[in-house]
Amino acid sequence: MILQFLLAMIATSSFAVLFCVPKDQFLFSSLTGALGWISYLIFCRLGCGVVTASLLATFFLTIISRFFAALCKNPVTLYLVTGIFTLVPGAGIYYASYYFIMDNMASFAEKGTETFKIAGAITIGIIFGFSIPQKLFSCRFPAKPENKN
Amino acid sequence: MSDSREILTLAVEIGDVLLRSGGEIYRVEDTILLILNAFGIDDYDVYVLSNGIFASANEDKEDACSIIRHVPLGDVHLGKIAAINQLSREICAHECDVNEAWKRLDACKALPFQKPLVQKICCGVGCACFCSIFGGRTLDAFFALLLGFFLQSLRLGQQKRGASNFFIDIIGSAFLTASSLVLLNIGLPVLQDKIVIGSIVPLLPGIALTTSIRDLFNGDYLSGAIHLLDALLTAMCIAIGVGTVMILYRNLPGGVLLP
Repeated sequence: MILQFLLAMIATSSFAVLFCVPKDQFLFSSLTGALGWISYLIFCRLGCGVVTASLLATFFLTIISRFFAALCKNPVTLYLVTGIFTLVPGAGIYYASYYFIMDNMASFAEKGTETFKIAGAITIGIIFGFSIPQKLFSCRFPAKPENKN
Repeated sequence: MSDSREILTLAVEIGDVLLRSGGEIYRVEDTILLILNAFGIDDYDVYVLSNGIFASANEDKEDACSIIRHVPLGDVHLGKIAAINQLSREICAHECDVNEAWKRLDACKALPFQKPLVQKICCGVGCACFCSIFGGRTLDAFFALLLGFFLQSLRLGQQKRGASNFFIDIIGSAFLTASSLVLLNIGLPVLQDKIVIGSIVPLLPGIALTTSIRDLFNGDYLSGAIHLLDALLTAMCIAIGVGTVMILYRNLPGGVLLP
């Protein structure tokens, strides 16, 4: 589990480099990705299906990135975009096209629907995460005087 | 007070950079509105799409002006978004006049992308880690690292040639599948599917998906639909790339049978 956490952190931070995240935010964006992935694993282990786990993990990920965004006064995109890569169903796309080519239509339908469901779950997770009022995030960290809007 | 045309140009230029680097629609709109407000223009209209900005100020006065900007979908640069965020915050706090803001904006625009070598290495390391967290073993992760490195080289090369993103996605995923099949065929004990899944991650439309959801959620249906279409097409291109190679491979005589 710890190894997974570290690997997810390295993976997310190397993507953060690709997307030119400012250097002082690497830690936070990699933490977001790692926490998202770990929560996905935990939800999977608790017996949620892949889809439910994706939903809950995305929800959690969104909350964390909003928390970091409020903490560091940065756009939330910085953390969310790099963190989400651990949850996007790349394996689903691969297996779906693989089974399609192999004429294994039953497995193709299964994987294909699962991929779409995961994409939908990510959507709903993000939407839920953003429905929480901004106040909850910003009131904990009152704006520093020099940064006041 | 400065000329309204200059202020509008500044605001739209800032929005342009933001949109180009992958900002969400509402962020671009809000930034432009806040800047116009901060410089004392209160009669304005701004409409932002994911590939265009339309803005006008002081319509019914003497110094009426309007701007239309075409903003092609560009490469994501989150550093620029953060820098512009800081700049607009300072403008709103009236710590920054127009000339100063132009200078700061030029500095933001000049923020470089990572060097190609750094990009390639990071892409490789990222692929290796993803391969390993998705269930690959050490050997698989090692090959994913190599493939990620070459994938990024391929993408950079094609981008320089001006190839379309879809073409790059198809070629990229085909390249990954083909090389993983080669590895399998020379008899290495690799999990071919894990290698592909790990190294395919840089091609995935994670950003387009996230942005489109947030745009749709904020009520910018048109822009959300544009990004959603982008995400779906990218996914389809990846599937096409993987699929084509698989078909070719299946029709090759003497291949190792796939699981």
